[in-house]
Amino acid sequence: MIIFKDVWKKYYRHHVFHRSLREDIVNFFKRKQKQELKKNEFWALKGISFEIKKGECVGLYGPNGAGKSTILKLIAKVTYPTKGIVNVNGRVAPLIEIGAGFHLDLTGRENIYINGAILGMHINEIKRKIPQIVEFSELEEFIDMPVKKYSSGMYLRLGFSIAIHSEADIFLIDEILAVGDEAFQEKCLEKIKNLKKQGKTMLFVTHNRKLMEKIADKIIFIEKGEIVNEKV
Amino acid sequence: MYYRLKSYRDLFLIFIWREFSIRYKQSIIGILWAILQPLSMMLLFTFIFTYVLPTKITDYPYVLFFYAGALPWSFFSSSLNYAIPSLTNHYNLVTKIYFPREILPLSGVGVAFIDFIFACSVYVLLLILFKINITWHIIWFVPLFFLLMVFTAGIAMILAALNVYYRDVKLASGFLIQLWFFASPVFYSIDKISFKLKIVLFLNPLTFIIENMRRCVIEGRGVVWWQFLFMSLFVILLFSISYKFFLITEKKFADVI
Repeated sequence: MIIFKDVWKKYYRHHVFHRSLREDIVNFFKRKQKQELKKNEFWALKGISFEIKKGECVGLYGPNGAGKSTILKLIAKVTYPTKGIVNVNGRVAPLIEIGAGFHLDLTGRENIYINGAILGMHINEIKRKIPQIVEFSELEEFIDMPVKKYSSGMYLRLGFSIAIHSEADIFLIDEILAVGDEAFQEKCLEKIKNLKKQGKTMLFVTHNRKLMEKIADKIIFIEKGEIVNEKV
Repeated sequence: MYYRLKSYRDLFLIFIWREFSIRYKQSIIGILWAILQPLSMMLLFTFIFTYVLPTKITDYPYVLFFYAGALPWSFFSSSLNYAIPSLTNHYNLVTKIYFPREILPLSGVGVAFIDFIFACSVYVLLLILFKINITWHIIWFVPLFFLLMVFTAGIAMILAALNVYYRDVKLASGFLIQLWFFASPVFYSIDKISFKLKIVLFLNPLTFIIENMRRCVIEGRGVVWWQFLFMSLFVILLFSISYKFFLITEKKFADVI
């Protein structure tokens, strides 16, 4: 389902503007060795390998800057590895930053269409699911209001609700428990367990160790871009 | 390209609809803006070349002549204006979720297409008003516009991708579009120009497209087949190169944006 084989990822510490066009052209012709680290570059991931099977629920645990979000981004195909192979089978729904695609001037309902489509849903599918999405988010009264008038909690609730209703095979969840009040968090957990039962693959990042041990089948510990431990 | 976009067709449609509704939300005259741009351009030129700098540009009514040029030009410039910063404006999406990135610049072309359709209504009105004799050559309008669309999409994708790397592109684009405007036969016709100059002007594909889009409607003249064929090949080549370029650079968008 998801296979990482010796994956390395290099990032620039500085903004791209610090490289000049001339340098870029020179490098293009020189075909610099990918392994080499230039000034101001660093490895975000250093030879990560793991395998996640269909229906597994895996937690990524580690300090800030360990490379957890980079792994999620690689799975979501937002970015590509510098070296190594990333193999992902199935539709991915990233909940990396909930509500990233919202436009503030549009209403909640309009944003459901946009976000749903970004997550790969078809228009008919979205139409069919709108009642469920709205009900789950508990925003019935506010759904035809521009999103800019929402509170941040409402915003996140709507985003989460859309993502969780998409018919993806793989869910990437980054710090879900920042969503809404306690009652809503409880509901989200319930929903996640439900998805797990349906055989969806899940990958999540949280700093809440207890919670992770409760839901995850497997926990991967990451530090400084390397896997330091794996616990089943 | 078709294969890549097939499963994202709905997203493409939704993006066009999204941009369209955002653009005209909280605006009083809404879609009339689409007509206003070519209309005001036409009025200004008519005023200048009738009163300020009385010049004989064409035998056809100036109002009609200028509008016929401003119409395709508005499509081109508003497509680029939207498309060039489209990737960087959607920073949030590009760094977080995967979808074929070309949807962003291309939806700008899509919105400009809707504007174009609305602006055409005024064109039709003017044609009736001035009792222009329409011939069957008007059919050329459609393939010529298609050519314009492919050309615009190609330029839009290259510039949008480059803008992710170097913001200079966006800064230069306003100026570039302005220069391009004077290099295109919007307020002049290349009909009476010497052959040597014509060749220079034809280096700009918009010269061929805009000039012929006007000829086939107002003057009822057809398009020279070999010229059209040659231009189509050129535009298609340009489009495929720009699409290739886009696909290669796309992989790094999220890292460098």
